[in-house]
Amino acid sequence: MDPLFLAYSYFRRRKYEQCVELCSQLLDKNPYDQAAWSLKTRALTEQVYIDEVDVDEEGIAELIMDDNSIAQVARPGTSLKVPGTGQGAPSQGVRPMSQSGRPLTGFVRPGTQSTRPGTMEQAIRTPRTAHTARPVTSASGRYVRLGTASMLSSPDGPFINLARLNMPKYSARPNLAKSLFEYIFHHENDVRNALDLASGATEACQFQDWWWKVQLGKCYYRLGMYRDAEKQFKSALKQQDMVDTYLYLCKVYVRLDQPLTAVEVYKQGLQRFIGEASLLTGIARVYEGMNDMSNTVQFYKDVLHQDNMSIEAIACIGTHYFYTDQPEIALKFYRRLLQMGVYNTELFNNLGLCCFYAQQYDMTLTCFERALSLASDDNMSDVWYNIGHVALGIGDLTLAYQSFRLALASNNDHAEAYNNLGVLEMKKGRLEMSRAFFQAAFNLAPHMYEPHYNFASMSDKVGDLQSSFNAARRASDAFSDHMDSKQLLSSLRKHFAML
Amino acid sequence: MSLFKARDWWSTIVGDDEQFDQGCMCVGNLDNHSSGTDKIVVGSYHGYLRIYNPRPVKTENGNEGFRPEDVLCETSLNAPILQVECGRFVSSAEGMYLAVLHPRKLSVYNLLSTSGAVEHGSHYQLKLVYEHKLQRTAFNFCSGSFGGVKGRDFLCIQSMDGTVSVFEQESFAFSRFLPNALLPGPICYVPRTDSFVTVSSSRCLESYKYQVLAVATDTRTKEESQMLKSGKRVAAEWELGLCDQALDIHVTSFNNSQEAIYVLGERNVYMVSEVGKLLMMKKFDFNPSCFLPYASVDDGQINCIIATHTKTLLIYQNITLTWAAQLDMVPVALCVGKFQDSEESQLKGVIVSLDEMGHLQCSYLGTDPAMFTAASSEVRELDYTELDAEMRQLQKAIKEQQSKSAPIVPTQAAEDEIQIIVSVPPDLDDVSVATNLEIEDEEKVPSLTVKISLKARSHLTDVKVHVHAPAPLASNESLISFASLEPNHPGETQVSFFMCHGFLPSQLKAHITATYQSSSGAPRVVTSQIKLPLKLVIKAVLPIKTATYKITVDTNKPPVNLNDIFPELLGESAGGPGNALGFCVYGLDSVITMLASKTSQRYRLQSDDFASMWPLLSDLLLRLKSYFRVGQTSSDFKITYEGPLPLQEYFEVLDKHFECRLNADKYSHLLEERAAQFRAIQRRLLTRFKDKTPAPLANLDTLLDGTYRQILALADAMEENRKAQQRAAAALSCATHTLNHLIQLWKDLSAEEFSILESSLITSVDDNGDQGWEEIVDASITHLLRTCMAKSAKDQTVNPSPLNLLKDTTKLKKHIALLCDRLGKGAKLVVEGYKPVTSPTTTEPSKPIRPSMPASHSKSEQQKKYKPIPTTLNTKKHQEASSFDEPTIPTGSRFGEKKSPSAQGPIGGGRSGSDYLKRGGSTGDAVNSVPDLDDLGAPEVADQPLVNGVDELVYGL
Repeated sequence: MDPLFLAYSYFRRRKYEQCVELCSQLLDKNPYDQAAWSLKTRALTEQVYIDEVDVDEEGIAELIMDDNSIAQVARPGTSLKVPGTGQGAPSQGVRPMSQSGRPLTGFVRPGTQSTRPGTMEQAIRTPRTAHTARPVTSASGRYVRLGTASMLSSPDGPFINLARLNMPKYSARPNLAKSLFEYIFHHENDVRNALDLASGATEACQFQDWWWKVQLGKCYYRLGMYRDAEKQFKSALKQQDMVDTYLYLCKVYVRLDQPLTAVEVYKQGLQRFIGEASLLTGIARVYEGMNDMSNTVQFYKDVLHQDNMSIEAIACIGTHYFYTDQPEIALKFYRRLLQMGVYNTELFNNLGLCCFYAQQYDMTLTCFERALSLASDDNMSDVWYNIGHVALGIGDLTLAYQSFRLALASNNDHAEAYNNLGVLEMKKGRLEMSRAFFQAAFNLAPHMYEPHYNFASMSDKVGDLQSSFNAARRASDAFSDHMDSKQLLSSLRKHFAML
Repeated sequence: MSLFKARDWWSTIVGDDEQFDQGCMCVGNLDNHSSGTDKIVVGSYHGYLRIYNPRPVKTENGNEGFRPEDVLCETSLNAPILQVECGRFVSSAEGMYLAVLHPRKLSVYNLLSTSGAVEHGSHYQLKLVYEHKLQRTAFNFCSGSFGGVKGRDFLCIQSMDGTVSVFEQESFAFSRFLPNALLPGPICYVPRTDSFVTVSSSRCLESYKYQVLAVATDTRTKEESQMLKSGKRVAAEWELGLCDQALDIHVTSFNNSQEAIYVLGERNVYMVSEVGKLLMMKKFDFNPSCFLPYASVDDGQINCIIATHTKTLLIYQNITLTWAAQLDMVPVALCVGKFQDSEESQLKGVIVSLDEMGHLQCSYLGTDPAMFTAASSEVRELDYTELDAEMRQLQKAIKEQQSKSAPIVPTQAAEDEIQIIVSVPPDLDDVSVATNLEIEDEEKVPSLTVKISLKARSHLTDVKVHVHAPAPLASNESLISFASLEPNHPGETQVSFFMCHGFLPSQLKAHITATYQSSSGAPRVVTSQIKLPLKLVIKAVLPIKTATYKITVDTNKPPVNLNDIFPELLGESAGGPGNALGFCVYGLDSVITMLASKTSQRYRLQSDDFASMWPLLSDLLLRLKSYFRVGQTSSDFKITYEGPLPLQEYFEVLDKHFECRLNADKYSHLLEERAAQFRAIQRRLLTRFKDKTPAPLANLDTLLDGTYRQILALADAMEENRKAQQRAAAALSCATHTLNHLIQLWKDLSAEEFSILESSLITSVDDNGDQGWEEIVDASITHLLRTCMAKSAKDQTVNPSPLNLLKDTTKLKKHIALLCDRLGKGAKLVVEGYKPVTSPTTTEPSKPIRPSMPASHSKSEQQKKYKPIPTTLNTKKHQEASSFDEPTIPTGSRFGEKKSPSAQGPIGGGRSGSDYLKRGGSTGDAVNSVPDLDDLGAPEVADQPLVNGVDELVYGL
């Protein structure tokens, strides 16, 4: 049997290692076998391929040295940096915020946890644990790792020595160049060389191939040249409508902090590709980032019309219903996920909470039991924290206290558990302890308003009005619509004025 | 992920260890049976061809599945089978024939049936009709009525190098190179436009007219034509760029929808019209393995089955997902067929799938739930009384733990499974092993080798021993691992200690800690402390007569010959009268002279460096005590300190340390500024460089360079300062030890009082955390002054201020002086409910539980009147699933939210104004007008010069 045929067959069956092995043997025999060479680049690329649309981690450098934003202080509802008060979203008091000031999402994607810190110092000081939303150290956190991993897998050194590659020669050969480009871009992570190749190739085909324009745009995007990327994508769209091009273009707009334009482009794409789920999901994600929950849910529902197996859509709608006080409906969505075969801690935890709030008490404990049995170190603390909440709900303060302590045992930085322990201690009258808990909580998570407010309220009671005032101010900074903090502040102001 | 699974109708495993791929299966009415039912043809890469006719027998438990009779034919063709296809390939007959593609051969077979030959029905036989030898390695082929010939199927074979050879049934027609071929792609014939579509290596969907291909051919013989090396370049009729490489192509022609070309890419599926216009596409978030557009049910909508590498079968109607079913395998080939279900009825639309290992399955869609069901959690018979008892016991244990106010102090478990035995030899090493020294001394720095042996009671594995010697001491090994320990073979090792850094040792202790997992699996720690001899850090030198700082202690016994109590540290004065000895710490210059009065019962230490006297002072006290205790049952020996406390000297040391800290702070601020400046310049440069039109840099590069050098210089200065601070901290620690002990001797403090003193005026100076020694000591002394040593009730307000870096040390010095003054006036150091613990609580300022409470044992009467304060509980929590495809927790519940406004509590509104004022007046004032401690009494001791009270001492020099 022809080895090249077999290698090609392995490639089709995604058995890349065997494919690479066969190709290497072929290349050993005949180093100029272009077909084997091309197949090997493709197999190596596929091994590490991640859809570029999904890669969206912003590094510190991008966040800080962002010179693309149009307005520093954007109008509410036009920027992802200031999520603003969206329509139909429950308040922060009901649906918790992430560190970046966006409501918690029902589905973790790259980018949902990234922050937009104000200063470099703030960004750097964010503790380096897996539990925080600290941005990755540089744009290439993930890329570098991919690059080195691929080096490891080939002990004889890299397959293609990029430095010695004659770019103009390859860029004139379209049937080789495309695989080679993907290899350089995805496997070697050498964006600059990839850009060289792409610009040569697009010239070689007289700017007639939209594919090369999209690749140029991808390179520009990686290099942070968003306006150039936008130009390339738009030019590519003029030649040929493709779903991917729309997605890339919207990604550029999101990075440029123009969510409304992004939605506009998504909608253009939808006119061409009616009902394309990835475009619909994109719109929903943008709206979620802008805290516009009614639109988010609307578009996620549209996604489900097209693709009723979309886990992201089901999870996000479920979360929305949970936080808008319809745990029974949320329960239906999560049960659907369970039936579809999702089987993890998060799901059982969510099911447990939904059951509890939907008053199906018999299921609550079973769900949490399962959640605990499936939990890893990362999410164990969250499960215990939620059990603590259930215990508070049934008035078992001892169990609540112990649960929160257990949450802390598995994650020492669990600010919410600190806060709730503080409240429990306060109920017991141990002010010193509760004060310490509150302090620990707001030091760990300054974006939460609860510990600030609790601390303010406690300091007010013991007469430490100065601390109370400061803490209340921090609380209303974190959550500007919190009535209790406002009342406390105004009464303190009145009091100070009287003095 | 899907709700349902594909229902199994009939399945079997084809072959044994054989490989299959796309093209290895086809379905058709191969034996030309009158019923028109389909047969399944499967060919493997190992050259076996098998033909099946699935006829499952219905039983009560569903379908019976595979029976041996279902195999119509099984034969070895002696060459790998790349593709099989059914069609009308024979010119002389109408029926269906089987075309089989081998790497170098194309054969067409006829399946002959002889009815009644065997017991269970017909006997089948494959008969070769014709075959074509191929000159090039074949890749795949497609069939169709090329050129619009009715009722006949021609064959078009594509080879690995992209040549297409067309065979008009038994006769060869022509061969052509496809332009730009590198790796061949899937190929398909479009009857409507009479052209071939294929996807080239440059990711273009290309269409070639059959006419164009045929015309461009030179007339040659079959062999010549197949061997062709060059030819005219044929031009594609149209091209369409795709995002990715194609896996498969199908051309659909169904009654109620337009003819279209379906292309399955690696990440997309495209629907293209026959003139090359993109009609639809659908992006997948999974990897498809194969696909099959099979029907058009609704008008204008084409249904398509897509199998994925996630073992799912997805049915799309255009691009809308209509059904998803789980499979047991990843199919490489899909077909839809019509089979005999029972005697009279036929089952249409059976999905036939084949995976690469040869699992052949005929299935249909049904609402069987997916096969994954969560394993039920273990159900036990619950004994409620037993459970209750256990619960009570556990609750009790927890309560006991909680009632202990101190943060969980590990009780010294009796069942330590490891015993650390450390033997400290009396003599230093003959040859010093000290390495990596940071000090320079004319004499070789000595070392002491200690033998550590670990005795285990049971078999333990992976025991780790940490050796920690506080700076400036160091050990040559810090971590020793024992892979396993046996009860009768104690693990032994040797560790050497030596002086490494050039500053004062505040304590001569080393800790040896063993961590292990007990036999029950619990992590355990055993610690052992060893005392290192003085001579490790101190060498004898000649005594010096004059010195700046002097400390004199009195005893109630006649003086001792110093030669007797310091036998090992005599040095050159060994033969002397024994009333004056000189010492020097390795690496330091200041000489400490120890004098014993000949007449009075006094001892004096003098040195030019106040702090450096501590190691000797402590040792002197210990040695005197042990010397006089010898041979006496009740020790009436007493050491006292008469003179005023050496506060002035102490404060000098303190100021030095504080200055270092201020410097460190200053440097870090400067560094922060410079770093910000650096980044600002970087940003400006970045925009300059990004600019399309190059602009002059305006010396920004020089500025960047300058700032960079400044940052480096600052970092160097910081490092210098850090070392100075380390020295100052060691000195301060020593001085504090001295002061504490002098206070003890002076006021004859009990052990309990001394422990309180030591935990307030703490001796461990740790500058690594956020809170420094000065503020901790200030806070704890202020606390002492306001509680147990307060003069009046007025002072007794406890209001801890935040622990920030002090502006200057004046207040701290005043407070220390005041403490000494109060002690001098007879105040007692008694704190209610305080039990001396081995580690002073204040040395752990970074405990998260008590971030800023220097003394947690305070108790205020006022607290009793507070009612529990209702507050909003936190309702949040992060979500943190780390992978992309996991839903996260909608975490957090909403305890205490709007539904129960009562839980919020009357914060401002419920309280009357006067009440508020009153309270504010009492406690609020207290905050602002806490009487400053400095006003309470002027320190008298602090400014007095040190009185030298041992003038009558006779020097024996």
